Amino acid sequence: MNQEMKDFALDVEVLPGKVMEFTHEGAKTKLFLRVLAGKNYYSFDQVAWKKLPALGVNEALVSNSEMYKVFRGYKPSGLNKGGAGSLITQMPGKVVKLYKKEGDKVSIGETVLILEAMKMENEIKAGADGIIKSVNIKEGQALEAGFLMVEIEEKGE
Amino acid sequence: MKGKRVLIINRGEIAIRVAKALNELGLVSVGVWTDNETEPPHLEYCQEWVHLSGNNNKETYLDIPKIMKLIEDFKIDGVHPGYGFLSENREFSEALAKKGITFIGPNPTAVYKMGAKDISKQIAKEAGVPVVPGSVGEVATVEEAIQIGNEIGFPILLKAVAGGGGKGMRPCANESEVRANFAAVQREALSSFGYAALLVEKYILNPHHIEVQILADKKGNVFHVFERECSIQRRHQKIIEEAPSPFIGTDEVTRKAICETAVKCARAVNYDSAGTVEFIMGHDKQFYFLEMNTRIQVEHPITEEITGVDLLANMIKAAFGEPLDFKSQEDIKIQGHAIELRICAEDPITMLPAPGKIVGFETTFPQGIRFDHCIYPKFAITPDFDPMIGKLIAKGFNREVALRKIRNAVDGLIIDGIKTNIALHKVILDEESFKNGQYSTSYIGTVKPQEKVAIKEDIKAFMLKVAAIEVNQMGGIK
Repeated sequence: MNQEMKDFALDVEVLPGKVMEFTHEGAKTKLFLRVLAGKNYYSFDQVAWKKLPALGVNEALVSNSEMYKVFRGYKPSGLNKGGAGSLITQMPGKVVKLYKKEGDKVSIGETVLILEAMKMENEIKAGADGIIKSVNIKEGQALEAGFLMVEIEEKGE
Repeated sequence: MKGKRVLIINRGEIAIRVAKALNELGLVSVGVWTDNETEPPHLEYCQEWVHLSGNNNKETYLDIPKIMKLIEDFKIDGVHPGYGFLSENREFSEALAKKGITFIGPNPTAVYKMGAKDISKQIAKEAGVPVVPGSVGEVATVEEAIQIGNEIGFPILLKAVAGGGGKGMRPCANESEVRANFAAVQREALSSFGYAALLVEKYILNPHHIEVQILADKKGNVFHVFERECSIQRRHQKIIEEAPSPFIGTDEVTRKAICETAVKCARAVNYDSAGTVEFIMGHDKQFYFLEMNTRIQVEHPITEEITGVDLLANMIKAAFGEPLDFKSQEDIKIQGHAIELRICAEDPITMLPAPGKIVGFETTFPQGIRFDHCIYPKFAITPDFDPMIGKLIAKGFNREVALRKIRNAVDGLIIDGIKTNIALHKVILDEESFKNGQYSTSYIGTVKPQEKVAIKEDIKAFMLKVAAIEVNQMGGIK
């Protein structure tokens, strides 16, 4: 397999809510993912769905007659695990109360919102000192597991 | 026959197919694994697994003494060779016969007679089977070549006696072309093969490769299971096959003639197993004997699909002296149409083998698709073995339906991590000349569907691959 490998510029960012966002030559494309009967499915529009092969990690992408290097330029930003500054739903729930808005200062342990899940109210607390970078939810909104609710921009080390 | 222990001395999809038939018939399927393929998928279907030590085919699937030792050690009653490897090896079938082991294939004499090209042609001729007309022996002068040309009809092919691989061969449409080319071909023959002698043969322009499936038992019954057309070839290897032949079409006279001729060939060598008689057919529907393959063939499933005859099971029954599933030729009928695509680990444009490791494999097929394969995620295709990894087969009520189904099926076949000829198959299936069934063995060379394969897949295809890798890294979609 002495074949010249080509580079292919395609950035991927894993967003909360089973979404991946690709950037290729400046254009962004969203890819939605779902699991059905133990198989992975994808959709570009959430209407038409097709099977996603269970690919292992290989060093090359193979196209019809060319091979492309899998660059490691993209990094998983966590559907299942976020950084300390990302507040992600661990189970499906409903937003009961939102205490903070974008630009607010927070400190570790401070309650940011209350999420009702499994008939219990849970105080969701900031995992880091910093400033609220984005709020992706509204009060009363029902959320699936893995949804990124609030992002906190951490203060410098 | 029940309970007999049968060693499958093969691998890949055909080993799976054989094991399925053995299990179904109540025999014990014994599979082998080798040191250069320690996790072969065919073992999944085998009831017993034995180790055939060695790192290359010469030390394993082709090592007759070693295989004979296995047969003794594991009390084997019969051997199925599949295709390739020792399937048409007279020495092997004789060694088995000496030990009283059943070889699931024809008797050694039939293998020998049909194995040698010159002998098989002679036998065919004697049996009254047409062979490509031409000179008897070497042709020394231009005048002699022209005289033969006038006898058998132009165009003719000037061919080096020692020729091969397309070298030292030139077609001539008439007398003046023979005069112009004779000396040149002689020179070419001398420089390429060191021997200037020439042969003259009738040149069949854009021929069709049509073969007839034979099924015979040990009691002297010889049946044909109709024909297959295998004209889509590259490097003289088939990649798409159909049954029945779209070229013969509704011409039942030709169909009957070619099928009965094949039976005649098989009878001439006392054939007693599954086998195939290959012919080339010109545009005038004249056909000539090419060779007989004394084994089960890769493309046997399309015949099974259109006739309902289980070729493997009947081949096994015949070998053990059991009656076949049917009694007369009239029991075998064509119903519908079947198309097979050979799925190979190869570059779809250059058509050269491209080994690698499969990392993703998914299928979403329409109703009634058959996929004989040995693919699983993480399956490594090594240069040690043939790059064919599966056969996608669609059967339809008629050719139109079969085409529709196979086109949809190939869309639903996803193999990732290696190059495959799937993209080439899609191009061919979309070609008008294929769809209307008007193609010959020169199809790949003249229509050049490989040039229409898009090199780069669209950006979305890449996104999916990256997404799949990402999902894998995360341990699934959460």
